[in-house]
Amino acid sequence: MTEPPAVASPDAAAPSEFDELASGEQIATAATALERNGIRPLIAATGADARGLVRSLLADGAEVYNNTSQTLEAIGVADDIERSGRYQPLRLRLYRMDREMQRREMRTLAASPGYVVGSVHALTEGGSLLIASATGSQLGPVASGAGQVILVIGAQKIVPDVATGMRRIYEYCYPLEDARARRAYGVPSGVNNILIINKAVTPGRVTAIIVNERLGF
Amino acid sequence: MSMFDYDARPVTPGVVLVGTTASRGAYAIRDFLSRNGYPFEWVDAGQADAVRTVLGVAELEPSALPLCILPDGSRLAAATVEQVAEGLGMVAAPARSEYDLTIVGAGPAGLAAAVNAASEGLRTVVVEAVAPGGQAGTTSMIENLLGFPDGISGSELATRAVVQARRFGAEVLLARPLAGVSADGPGYVAELSDGTLVRGRAVLFASGVEWRRLEVPGVDDLLGAGVYYGAGPSEALACTGSRVAVVGGGNSAGQAVVRFSRYARQVTLLVRGRDLGASMSQYLIDQLSGIPNVDVRVRTQVVGVEADDRLRALVVRSGDGAEPGRLPADALFICIGGNPRTDGVAGIGLATNLAGYLVTGSDPGGSWPLPREPLPLETNRPGVFAAGDVRCGSVKRCAAAIGEGSMAVALIHQRLAEAGDD
Repeated sequence: MTEPPAVASPDAAAPSEFDELASGEQIATAATALERNGIRPLIAATGADARGLVRSLLADGAEVYNNTSQTLEAIGVADDIERSGRYQPLRLRLYRMDREMQRREMRTLAASPGYVVGSVHALTEGGSLLIASATGSQLGPVASGAGQVILVIGAQKIVPDVATGMRRIYEYCYPLEDARARRAYGVPSGVNNILIINKAVTPGRVTAIIVNERLGF
Repeated sequence: MSMFDYDARPVTPGVVLVGTTASRGAYAIRDFLSRNGYPFEWVDAGQADAVRTVLGVAELEPSALPLCILPDGSRLAAATVEQVAEGLGMVAAPARSEYDLTIVGAGPAGLAAAVNAASEGLRTVVVEAVAPGGQAGTTSMIENLLGFPDGISGSELATRAVVQARRFGAEVLLARPLAGVSADGPGYVAELSDGTLVRGRAVLFASGVEWRRLEVPGVDDLLGAGVYYGAGPSEALACTGSRVAVVGGGNSAGQAVVRFSRYARQVTLLVRGRDLGASMSQYLIDQLSGIPNVDVRVRTQVVGVEADDRLRALVVRSGDGAEPGRLPADALFICIGGNPRTDGVAGIGLATNLAGYLVTGSDPGGSWPLPREPLPLETNRPGVFAAGDVRCGSVKRCAAAIGEGSMAVALIHQRLAEAGDD
């Protein structure tokens, strides 16, 4: 597998091919493919519409883990989950745990939430979802640990195929993410784990909301 | 989606609190936020750069401290716990005009009662002064609670219990202490500190205990500046690399020592009695003996403190008549015994023992108006019950409190049937 660049510059000019919104036709193609692959597709015209869709999908009182996501922050979903009082936000619960004494409880809680809400780094026109992670902690719940998975995807993330999706991760997402991690946490990020979902076996478990806006990266 | 879910910290902004370490008001807010699991950033008002970063100015008028910035950007000057709770939307009004059961206190006993009462169809409300969990809520790891072979933290136990109680329809009203209780026909009305009235056909006091004060000159002046009652979760990280002393011989003290030993350079447990066996569970005694940076000193008392702007050392005396010695300490956690939390009970004349614990059962110790004897866990007022640590004769263990809270509900059913409309 291709190694990422040794140093990711936050100012690196991002290849524009990965920042372009997909056409309506590409969105429809990806949505049809997702459905064929057992993933429920929903299409939202705006981030606000997507926020409303997420609200309608989350049951009141549900235990929800929101993955760190610029997309979720940008459209207010992170705020809904962590602050609205409608749900049990697992991030707040984990935050108050003692990292020395309660590591096992933390691992267990984070691994199997009722709902996980996040995004992806690429969606192919063939209906595959690609997610990269430095620690891998976000991938297990999406693959199988969470009861329900809701993914909000800006339409600029649609790519023709998996190979292009991989290129999007390494060439476009990684430099931006590395810069974000260094700013936010003072540590580098890394493409250390990649999850590719080609098909969802459990009917109705995974919902992908494609938003016809440029969201996240 | 971001690739790095760094330490699972909340994504959205939390509270920023600016204050001085020696401020009791700031400490009260820190403790309140921490015990309620609310993310916050602490900014020392003496650190000009940090203050400038969050406020845009280097200095603040002392009268404005503690200053609290809420997630929506609004600022509370000279903030109080009540204002912060209100600002964070944590203060809710009761949804009903009357309940079958009002539970005072959201510790293990109160929450067990809430789960059992609500699951059996009683209209149930819990009123809690600070945060769910009670004294057990600050315990980092309870290892002998049935059903949790790997242990569970007090705060996690409380979180789960609140979720469970609410799922059955119980209401939990936080952040307001009970001001008083008065008779209201066959039932009772509880008044909270903000004037909210809660009517209940029966009342269960599960208000627990608060830490006993350490009667040593200078200690209370250092509250929040190196001296803490209990072992709140917010202070563990702050103890990294420091010298910590814990006073107490019970399980809470033992659990605190185990937690701090993971962070601190040295932890010294100061126990007044001759050995730990009388008050601490054997599993904790065994754990303590195996931790290299823990020193247990029995027959030892704190007799003085040394401080400048914060605690620097303790003066301790070991054994009878021994000369006091100096024990350098950056933090002192006081986890001794407890005083029953019975604020507000005077209005209905509940009987207590000399130490202030609520008396229950067949010998209520006060006037009793009915021909029948009081039910077990019933006080000297019909329909007013007590469970958990606040009850005279209770076993000071989490599991026992849960048992009493659960048991109380069966007795409350009997009382409601007697009073009619059960």
